[in-house]
Amino acid sequence: MKRIANFSFAFCAGIFAISLGVAALADPQSATNERWWSPGEKREFPARLDYKNDQGSLRLILLGGIADTSEHPFFKAIGPNGRACVTCHQPADGMSLSAKSASERWDRNGSSDPLFASFDGSNCPSLPNAERASHSLLIEHGLIRIARPWPPKDFAGKVTKPDFKLEVVRDPTGCNTDAQWGINSPRHQVSVFRRPRPVANFKFIEAIAFAIDPKRGLPVPVDPETNKPVGGNLTADGRVLSLKSQLNDAAGTHLEFLKHVSSEDVAQILDFERKLYVAQQFSNGAGELDTDGAMGGPYKLEISPPGRLGSQGIAIWSEFEAWERMPDSVKAKLPAERIAFRESVARGARLFREGTFKISDTTPFNQPALFGNPTRNACALCHNMSQMGMDVSPGQVDIGTTVVPFADSQPHLPLFKITCLAKPHPYYGKSFYSYDPGFALTTGRCSDVGQITLQALRGLSARSPYFASGSAKDLHAVIEYYDRRYNIGYTKQERQDLVNLLSVL
Amino acid sequence: MRCSFTLAAFLLAASASATTQQTLRFVACPIYRDTDVGRKSGCWLADDPVSGQRYDVSKSPGKPDWDHAILVEGHPAQTQDDACGGVVLDAVRVSALNEHCPRTVIPQESYAGRKYALPKRRLSPSYVERKQAQKPFVERTFTIGFELGNDYPTYEHSDYYLETATFYALDTSPKSITIVGYADTTAAIVSGIKIVEEIAIAKRRAERVAQWMKMRGVPADRIHVSWKAAKSPSEADVFDELFAPSFRRAEITVVPSKP
Repeated sequence: MKRIANFSFAFCAGIFAISLGVAALADPQSATNERWWSPGEKREFPARLDYKNDQGSLRLILLGGIADTSEHPFFKAIGPNGRACVTCHQPADGMSLSAKSASERWDRNGSSDPLFASFDGSNCPSLPNAERASHSLLIEHGLIRIARPWPPKDFAGKVTKPDFKLEVVRDPTGCNTDAQWGINSPRHQVSVFRRPRPVANFKFIEAIAFAIDPKRGLPVPVDPETNKPVGGNLTADGRVLSLKSQLNDAAGTHLEFLKHVSSEDVAQILDFERKLYVAQQFSNGAGELDTDGAMGGPYKLEISPPGRLGSQGIAIWSEFEAWERMPDSVKAKLPAERIAFRESVARGARLFREGTFKISDTTPFNQPALFGNPTRNACALCHNMSQMGMDVSPGQVDIGTTVVPFADSQPHLPLFKITCLAKPHPYYGKSFYSYDPGFALTTGRCSDVGQITLQALRGLSARSPYFASGSAKDLHAVIEYYDRRYNIGYTKQERQDLVNLLSVL
Repeated sequence: MRCSFTLAAFLLAASASATTQQTLRFVACPIYRDTDVGRKSGCWLADDPVSGQRYDVSKSPGKPDWDHAILVEGHPAQTQDDACGGVVLDAVRVSALNEHCPRTVIPQESYAGRKYALPKRRLSPSYVERKQAQKPFVERTFTIGFELGNDYPTYEHSDYYLETATFYALDTSPKSITIVGYADTTAAIVSGIKIVEEIAIAKRRAERVAQWMKMRGVPADRIHVSWKAAKSPSEADVFDELFAPSFRRAEITVVPSKP
């Protein structure tokens, strides 16, 4: 009843907001049920929807809106575990899932919440599902179990022979050594644990500016269904070629829907996903992010062409360039701390694209691509797509977040020993350790271990923790990781500028 | 005035060298000078072990890896700057070898470094309208260069030529596309190290080029692949008149079905 009561309130509030022509702005302190979208709720997804977060508020723009989501296949449970796509792709969390939300769901509903479905919402399906400890990775780190076939299979499902041996060194979840779910079980699966990627801004995520991937020395793959070149930006390990393939992959695993999704449902889900834009709209520090010359927020995404190369067109994060030198007439209206924050964001943007450091020992940039090892460049070398910060030559890069010794210690994760059977890894040698081999679980190549697909950088404030394995608990930790990994030597002010920038994206 | 004597002496030699098109060729451990005038502005240097001369090899399309020795092949620039602290080679290729090197990074010191400029041989983004091939279509041969022992298309160099060939094949509905991979199988001793390629690399080059073109939509049944040892150099523009690197190549001949 409580849920229905809350729903009624939310529904009415939504209608009220729409009648005033403003967004539904949920209160994060008191209305957790309103923030959370449960499968099958009769609820409107308006054309504009705002949610508060610690840094301000996030805005979602959905072209056309949806009057009633209860029968929409993105929002209703289509598999037996009671989950819908929306379960792990929550609007308030930037269409991803924050660890905070997962924790709140456990506190509220325990294991009865479909989020904690044992298949991948627990540390291992064989663990007792009612116990909190069985879901510690999801509750504390926002991590979903991803089971990958071992040996790997290619896009067509054909088994490939890996050129490396994978051994389980540490297995805190028990799943990689489990008799039913482990690598040596009849399922032959490797369990890795990853953050859900945001389901929005697909106009950009699917875009490519080059049909060539210089990091691989080959053209990008072609989707056999459309016969068009496609990027590899959809999953952390590049295991699917298209959004449709991703949808079927997710339905078959996270939703445990073993049949293929109907073509009508596929069309509806893809239509929804491709019409949805997400970005931070309001910053506690800077105010409205599309004001006084700045062009933050999701509306700019909606009206902009995707897949543009920042170094030759609209410079990356130049959305905030106007705040570098605000006219006195603008400054006169603003409190000093707001001016300072905006200037910090603008400095962060410039540092992101122009602050160079030596990028070294990073496959495939430094090898096999002949970019040089080291090569001096900025964050924008990889995060080069205007307005989104992905790579316009889509693909995966190993910045070390899942490979020892660069990765932060993650004792809660499984640790694998990787032994290259042919050529040693160009930087880690013949044997080394990884929490998640990433792209290598798709290709079977030792040199690809640790490579993870770049993420879209919009809506970050809504979806901590960060990096594929959730190893950075907040935005400060992200910057600190890069600073340490590449020996950049950021000043305290520069770190803060970058954090402030990321917080307004 | 820094190293002016060396440079003047060198330029005399360089002048003679350019006339005879002798490619300067040596093996050395790469030195990274950490100059910073924006992205891609670090300098790559290498000391010729025979002459002791330090060369600036930063203009090579393929860059060194600080863990590995490099084969340097180049011509000195007619106009020298002193941006990095070495005699500038402007037509230059470097190839990473298996020989291990200690990582050597030296500071910027008083050298300015060189601002990155977009190279002429670079791919345009797909959202930039492409000029299609114009009739009459004629048989054309495209040449792709490679680094020693490598079938990887060099960024902002070989990839440009490969795409140029691919677009021509896509535009002209070709009757046939013949791809021949070549390897430099004639051994040479360079700086005391044997430099030679196996014939297998010629096959890999031809197959890589064929794979590229197929993935870009060129009909597979028109493509004919072969490979052989290179017996003579190539005069294709791609090599910038460098003799030795021209033995490492693939040639793509596109024969249109109609003019």
